[in-house]
Amino acid sequence: MGLRENEVRLLMALRDAGGRATVDEIAESSGLAVAAIMRAALTLETRKLIRIYERRITKFSLNEEGRRYAEEGLPERRLLGILLRLGGGAPREKLLAEASRSMGSEILPIALGWLVRKGWARIDPKDQRIEVLRVPEEGGDEKLLKMLKDAGELILEDLGDDLREAFKILKSRKIINLREETIREVELTGDGWSLLKRGLEFVEEVTQLTPDLIVTGRWREKVIARYDINAPAPRAWPGKKHPYLRFLDWVCEKLIALGFKEMRGPIVEISLFNCDGLYMPQDHPAREIHDIYFVKDPEFGDLTPYMEIVERVRETHENGWRTGSKGWGYRFSVSAAARLVLRSHTTAVSARTLISDELEMPGKYFAIGRCYRPELIDKEHLSEFNQVEGIVVGEGLTLRDLLGILERFAIDIAGADKVRFKPDYFPFTEPSVELSAYKRGYGWMEFGGAGIFRPEVTKPLGIDVPVLAWGLGVDRLFMMWAGIDDIRYIFTHDLDWLRRKGLI
Amino acid sequence: MPTIEVERGDLEELLGAKLPDDPEELDNLLSFVKGEVKQLSDAEIQIDIKDSNRADLWSAEGIARALRGILGIERGLKEYRVEGDSGVIVYVDERLRNIRPYIGCAVVKGVRLSDAAIRNLMRFQDKLDQTYGRGRRRTSIGLYNFDLIAPPLYYTVSKPGETRFIPLGFSEELSLEEILERHPKGVEYGHIVKPFEMWPIFIDSRRKVLSFPPIINSNDLGRVTIDTRNVLVEVTGTSFKAVLHTLTNVVLALADRGGKIYSAEIHYPYEDLGVATTPSLEKEKMEIKVDYIRGVIGIPLTLREIIDLIERSRYGVLEADEEKVVVEVPCYRTDIMHPVDVVEDIAIAYDLNRMEPRWPQAVTMGGLARETELRNIVREVMIGLGYQEVLTFSMSNPTTLFTKMNVPCEDVIEVVNPKISSMTCLRNWLIPSLMELLSHNTHVEYPQRIFEVGYCVIRDDKLPNRARDVEKLACVTIHSCAGFSEIKSVLDALFMNLNLEYTLREDVHGSFIEGRFGIIVVEGEEVGIIGEIHPQVLENWGLENPAAALEINLSSIWQIIKRRR
Repeated sequence: MGLRENEVRLLMALRDAGGRATVDEIAESSGLAVAAIMRAALTLETRKLIRIYERRITKFSLNEEGRRYAEEGLPERRLLGILLRLGGGAPREKLLAEASRSMGSEILPIALGWLVRKGWARIDPKDQRIEVLRVPEEGGDEKLLKMLKDAGELILEDLGDDLREAFKILKSRKIINLREETIREVELTGDGWSLLKRGLEFVEEVTQLTPDLIVTGRWREKVIARYDINAPAPRAWPGKKHPYLRFLDWVCEKLIALGFKEMRGPIVEISLFNCDGLYMPQDHPAREIHDIYFVKDPEFGDLTPYMEIVERVRETHENGWRTGSKGWGYRFSVSAAARLVLRSHTTAVSARTLISDELEMPGKYFAIGRCYRPELIDKEHLSEFNQVEGIVVGEGLTLRDLLGILERFAIDIAGADKVRFKPDYFPFTEPSVELSAYKRGYGWMEFGGAGIFRPEVTKPLGIDVPVLAWGLGVDRLFMMWAGIDDIRYIFTHDLDWLRRKGLI
Repeated sequence: MPTIEVERGDLEELLGAKLPDDPEELDNLLSFVKGEVKQLSDAEIQIDIKDSNRADLWSAEGIARALRGILGIERGLKEYRVEGDSGVIVYVDERLRNIRPYIGCAVVKGVRLSDAAIRNLMRFQDKLDQTYGRGRRRTSIGLYNFDLIAPPLYYTVSKPGETRFIPLGFSEELSLEEILERHPKGVEYGHIVKPFEMWPIFIDSRRKVLSFPPIINSNDLGRVTIDTRNVLVEVTGTSFKAVLHTLTNVVLALADRGGKIYSAEIHYPYEDLGVATTPSLEKEKMEIKVDYIRGVIGIPLTLREIIDLIERSRYGVLEADEEKVVVEVPCYRTDIMHPVDVVEDIAIAYDLNRMEPRWPQAVTMGGLARETELRNIVREVMIGLGYQEVLTFSMSNPTTLFTKMNVPCEDVIEVVNPKISSMTCLRNWLIPSLMELLSHNTHVEYPQRIFEVGYCVIRDDKLPNRARDVEKLACVTIHSCAGFSEIKSVLDALFMNLNLEYTLREDVHGSFIEGRFGIIVVEGEEVGIIGEIHPQVLENWGLENPAAALEINLSSIWQIIKRRR
């Protein structure tokens, strides 16, 4: 039977103490911590080598006033002394006047009261003269007071009957402090004694394996302490991606795998790219102050690098230019096209890509971009949000290709089981399509909008081949995946949620 | 996206067919007119019409007109014609030129309006006013009982206090001024006329007021009931084209209810516009190449199929051969600007869900922008260092960016029309966003270590858009013993992994403790800042633990890396 170090030390301390001792005594003699003794004692008790006894005791000591009584004697004893010095009797006034020279005046009524109550003196009811009746010996209360003065603290349960009475008196005089305590005693059992007589197999135990133990090989002589492996461990919070950005990274990967190249564009955008170039008429409701953020200063961007495009866009809006369209038929304002706004959709990035020197043909592009709209923020709306959008540009692309791309997205990204298309409307695409994805357990979900850029969009940008344009409702997909119904969680301040949000 | 309500029974009567009972089937049918069932009750259907450019679909009449084609009940162009001249002449006052210059009128006779039809008409009118009419600013509609009116009519002006009449729904006469104060419509739309000294007024030959456009009709003349047989329709507005289009839509809806259309003559005093006859129900011709149709849709449709699909979309076919079709576009389809618009209708009538999707053949190489690769490397290192990634808004406000950060205000890009006070400008640095986030998490277990890679925007007049996006990394560590050396370890780890050497230049910054702040310099270029957050800033954010932070301009780092390659 192997015993751990602390258990051995406890058994030996008990033997040295004669077989029984309190935990405090063992702590003193063995140098073990009380908690360590208790742990060891509990183990040894289950092996029936010792028995643990517990007993509630009441310890008491003198409070400040009590200590003064112990020092100077009880007030009535002192008052009796003064009365005796005055000849064994004196008028009340005289006694009190004399006594107040050596005793506090606040204590005199108490002293006089006890003097009478204990029958040491009497007060003549007629002339208030006070006379000694007897000179008593030391009372029980005075004896206990002395004991307390010497011992500091006594255990109530250890007192004899007479002192119990004295205790009650002192307690009623409110000069006693009480506290309850549990005393634990440990006693060797017969098995314990015989084990000790046989001799202990003693193995030293370690809690922490140290480099020293490893290097010296001393670990071989040790037992490594067992742990309660189910005890709680301190929390650790790993650094990790924001769940939404992690999701966007994943969408990114999918798009790259499908041959899409990332494009980027500016946040502060010229209306030419955010609206006019996308054939949105200048009085379009989506260009009003409720739907788009306008930059305060400067109000206008510089159109000079794009004058050729501006001119073509102007003509397209006014009369269709060479696009085969009638145009919107209104007077185009060039300054409205120069107005600076915060990008309201990533389609602006697509427009910029189409005029870029680096445009590849055929090409597939995507952008994940921050967009801005003056909305009040609630469960369903954000004033600032991300869009995933892109284009496919090349000779011979058709509506069927657009549907093919959308179907691929629905299956690869949204994990759809079924796909449905509906006619839709965007100012810059014709035909326009809405993509709905069906997933078992979730039902139908609108997952994207798409279309073929109108010739009024592409031709002024210098593109003569079809451009398929698409946008995906990734926010809703993320919310579904993350099990949240409040879009504000995408930009949450809740660090605890971010920490606790599982990755799967 | 306009939302309209129609009554199921009314729509079925106009359609001449029963609507599917199954909500999904109904939704599917309505998708052919770009509609989506929003709400469904026994009697009423609420539909979102996704096309904001097709006012003709915002009424039960218009939906029925289009669906009859899709369902094959009626094919080809629906003929609407002006039966004759109503004899109504409207004289327009020159003083309206800069107030609300245009008016169009028509008389529709012999209508029989049920309660449902009147409700539908009122809703259609309201939808047109709100959406197409831009809240009555661009166009607004008035309907009158023609039998009570004595032509000729005068579209003129009045001083706000001069004219009095009983507005619709009231029992006492009010002046125009009082209408703006007391009538609900006056309160709602008064802002349209308020900037002017003279306000529009529409009166007849007896000087009886028909209406106060675009605010309210007269209670006597401007009320249409089930007993009304002959209706005068008037539209006023700021664009003649929009006025005509709106008038057409209202007149056709009434014609679909059995009315006969009669024109009115409008006498304009403007140089470019003399006498105009309204409504204008002219059809247009459009030539479309057959190859173009096939090329856009991607299906080798036969000519016969194409003709069928065009007719089911309620166009007329004037000519058709293997090369081209000549299509007659109905007067209400002002959205048709380009042959591609007709092609879309062909595709819709064919049914998108009948088409076989095809993955584009062309092989392309996917990939991230190089800047995004750098961004991802930085994120990876930060995560490895135990920092939690966060995502915050790039719109902010000067209090957050400067006041609370204990630094003087800087020039940032502000918006004219902020919606909430916490989002008035674009941030130009990132640390304030992180401090704000930390201030919401004082009850959450420390240490807290967070980072974000996000955009900031700074003004740059050299660029056409006058602003430059700067991608930045910021991170903050906050706990009872956070300090400079901890954050400097992060900086070291980061730059070691970016293969870059940096130096720190001592400087002072209101957000940081003096002597514990530095500017990060790489190849002589300032690329960031690092330091221990000033207790004043911590106090401003209600934070009770020391914090240290760094912010690095990744756009600059990217330029340096690019230069080296």
